[in-house]
Amino acid sequence: MFCMLTLFPRFALLQSLQFWRLLYSLLKQVHGGQCTESDAIDTQIRFVKSALWYHGYGRPELYWLPSDGSAGSRELLLAFSWLLHRIGLLEQLLARNRVRTGDETSVCTCEDDLPNSQKGRTEIAPEYSLEDKVDVRYLQWLNGRLRFQWRSLHALHQEQCKLLHKIHLFTSGSHMDKILGHFSVTETDLIRRPENYKQLLQFLESETIQLEAFLEWKQLEQVYWRWMETVLDNMSEEGSMCKSQDAHTKKSTLPKVDSCCHWAGSLTGKIDRLSRDLMTVHDQLQELVTRRKSAWYEKMKTREEELQKEEFCAAARKIQEAVQLKLLDLTYRCALRKKKMHGSCRLVFRSKHSASKTGFGRSVSKEPISTVSATEVIRELQMRKASLERELKQLQEECRQRMDEVAQGLDGVICISP
Amino acid sequence: MSIVTVQLGQCGNQIGHEVFNAICSDVHGTHGLCSKKENESYHDACKERFFSEEKSGVPVARAVLVDMEPKVISQALSIAARSGYWKYDDRSHFCQKQGSGNNWANGYSVHGPKHKDIIMNLVQKEAEKCDRLSGFFTIMSMAGGTGSGLGAFVTQCLKDAFPASFILNHVIWPYGTGEVIVQNYNSVLTLSHLYHSSDALLVHENDVIHKICAQLMNIKQISFRDVNQVIAHQLGSVFQPIYTAEGALHYSRSPLGDLMETLVPHPEFKMLGLRNIPQMPESSLAYSSFSWPGLIKHLRQMLIANATMEEGIDWQVRLPRPGSSIPSKHSTSKLLHFNTSIANLVILRGKDMHSADLGSFQDPVLYTSWLTPQDAFNLWKTPRAFNKYEKSAALVSNSQFLLKPLDNLVGKAWNMFASKAYIHQYTKFGIEEEDFLDSFTTLEQVISSYTTL
Repeated sequence: MFCMLTLFPRFALLQSLQFWRLLYSLLKQVHGGQCTESDAIDTQIRFVKSALWYHGYGRPELYWLPSDGSAGSRELLLAFSWLLHRIGLLEQLLARNRVRTGDETSVCTCEDDLPNSQKGRTEIAPEYSLEDKVDVRYLQWLNGRLRFQWRSLHALHQEQCKLLHKIHLFTSGSHMDKILGHFSVTETDLIRRPENYKQLLQFLESETIQLEAFLEWKQLEQVYWRWMETVLDNMSEEGSMCKSQDAHTKKSTLPKVDSCCHWAGSLTGKIDRLSRDLMTVHDQLQELVTRRKSAWYEKMKTREEELQKEEFCAAARKIQEAVQLKLLDLTYRCALRKKKMHGSCRLVFRSKHSASKTGFGRSVSKEPISTVSATEVIRELQMRKASLERELKQLQEECRQRMDEVAQGLDGVICISP
Repeated sequence: MSIVTVQLGQCGNQIGHEVFNAICSDVHGTHGLCSKKENESYHDACKERFFSEEKSGVPVARAVLVDMEPKVISQALSIAARSGYWKYDDRSHFCQKQGSGNNWANGYSVHGPKHKDIIMNLVQKEAEKCDRLSGFFTIMSMAGGTGSGLGAFVTQCLKDAFPASFILNHVIWPYGTGEVIVQNYNSVLTLSHLYHSSDALLVHENDVIHKICAQLMNIKQISFRDVNQVIAHQLGSVFQPIYTAEGALHYSRSPLGDLMETLVPHPEFKMLGLRNIPQMPESSLAYSSFSWPGLIKHLRQMLIANATMEEGIDWQVRLPRPGSSIPSKHSTSKLLHFNTSIANLVILRGKDMHSADLGSFQDPVLYTSWLTPQDAFNLWKTPRAFNKYEKSAALVSNSQFLLKPLDNLVGKAWNMFASKAYIHQYTKFGIEEEDFLDSFTTLEQVISSYTTL
């Protein structure tokens, strides 16, 4: 598939069907799923349409294409070029197919709503329709199971960390690369099981082939885009003629695409929620600020009357300094937030800096590679944890207040909160 | 995958030592009745779970021994070391000289806080030795002072220090006619406190085990050692390596996690009962043969009729057939009232276990209305026989098994409390009447939850 990208002029001659299949397999790979060739063409087409919609492709002509894959190769070509540019399709494929060192970890703290879970979603058939009542004890049961599974996962992670630490510790000083210093999991595995070198070699060779093909593509890329411009010009000439005819009839297909996109729907829901939250927070802040200001002025007045003039000036200066420090800290923290890291990093062990008992994996400080130290990540996570705890407490308090209001409405009911 | 055992008090230390004995003798026995490869992976899984490697080559039990008197601990340490098969870590124990005087308040409010740091240090060291900590298994009796009071305190500390680990409390229910006058107080206080910090309470009743020794094992002079050995056998049948999924290739690596997930996800229902069949003197084993259908039938009726062993089961108790009128749960004819379960776990060990048919355990009528048998019933098995029994089946059940004993216990304790008998012994160490009332409330809530299944 990858090597075909270097033969781009032939795309214009590709049958639409083949083009759909190509897009399907590429997008499936990008989204981490397994390519199931046995899927019917309309399932594949549905997937491609929903994936494009997720990434924000807004050209309606593509969504109006029939589900049997009989037409539309030019639309597909446009979509493909859009993907190349917009989501870095090739770079993502390369990243996915890399040979892993086994030492990867992620420091990303963004909320995870990747469409990797699409397979799971379609399999979950709700056991109760919305009209049936669900026993709350069953929900508590399920919640408990989730909690326990989370705990098991936590134990698994801890084990992985412990073992990784052992590997790094025991192999430190043995690596050819002096800056790295120790072996990765893959390298250690190779030493333990040398007969697996053939498989590793195969992986490395295929990765090399992909990288070479990518380099070839990069050299020819300009030509491709110039050609695409001509295609676009052709399309805009024809398009303006037929647009008015098809507008009405085809609008109905868009909502169908909607229903496939669980994550897209949840995204809009999230955006609505966020904007609502933003408004409430803004109002609350305004209120708080005015209240605080008035309380502060009162305080100021009384203090001024109490203290002598000189003492008051000294106290005021001290307060000003403290406030400035606090503001600095706030701005620093806000600025730090922008520097979020995403994707996976490699864990590297540095024993020199481990003054603490749990000196663990830190990233290497080689020139071109961006690094982050474990202590920084830990600090950020602790801050995040504190803010989430605050949020949880606040939500629990709100819930409790709501329950109290409800309980007041009921006679003879005593509400004992957990 | 490793379990750290915390043995608390006299009872806890005696039982704990027998448990490790039973596990070790099972692993070293030649009666696995399965392939060599199977045996080896069983051996490895068991080793990782309960023992850690030491330079001397003798496996060291992953255990912390805690008691307020030195006698039982030193006995346990020396007997284990003499066996040559396993031993305790010489540093993993803590004892004092004075005991707790069967006073829960003494154990909980005095000894607990005073020795908290030392004990938690020992636990931390054991936990760090594990590559993967599955959780903690504490063994204690409810009736005494150290096991119950200090045990409840230690469980709370474990929960605080290891919030992401599982905690399973093994609790010994005292004899109904026990010697300790205030055992009902101690029991009520222990159970209510454990209910808050622990994930599950696995109960063994002394009366029941005594009966098993007398009637099934044909022991004339029943000593504590005999009782403890039966308990150890039953516990071993639950905690030895097992395959938790159909077609699994490896022994499960998360014993406590799997157990909790199948049985106690609901926070109100944490009481677990354990039944294990067959149970017979070792001398008779060679002359007996068992069949899976027979064992399963007995086990199922034991569950339904709330029987404690395979003799004397009441076969009259039946499940109501669908379509026929279901007797109301609160009907006066208790004879026909069967034991409703929330969740059941059946563990089969021995050859041909794949031929065993467990359909009878998946009858929806067995279970409470808000759970289907798919959620409520689980089956674990291994072809490797356990402890010389060619076939053995264990049932861990979250059901109304313990409803009656609990009700009796709370009733007796309440009667004593109403007349304020012996309360001063507790208040002088800081356990006030409100604490008693809180405990009674908690347990009444548990009783009510189990009754309305």
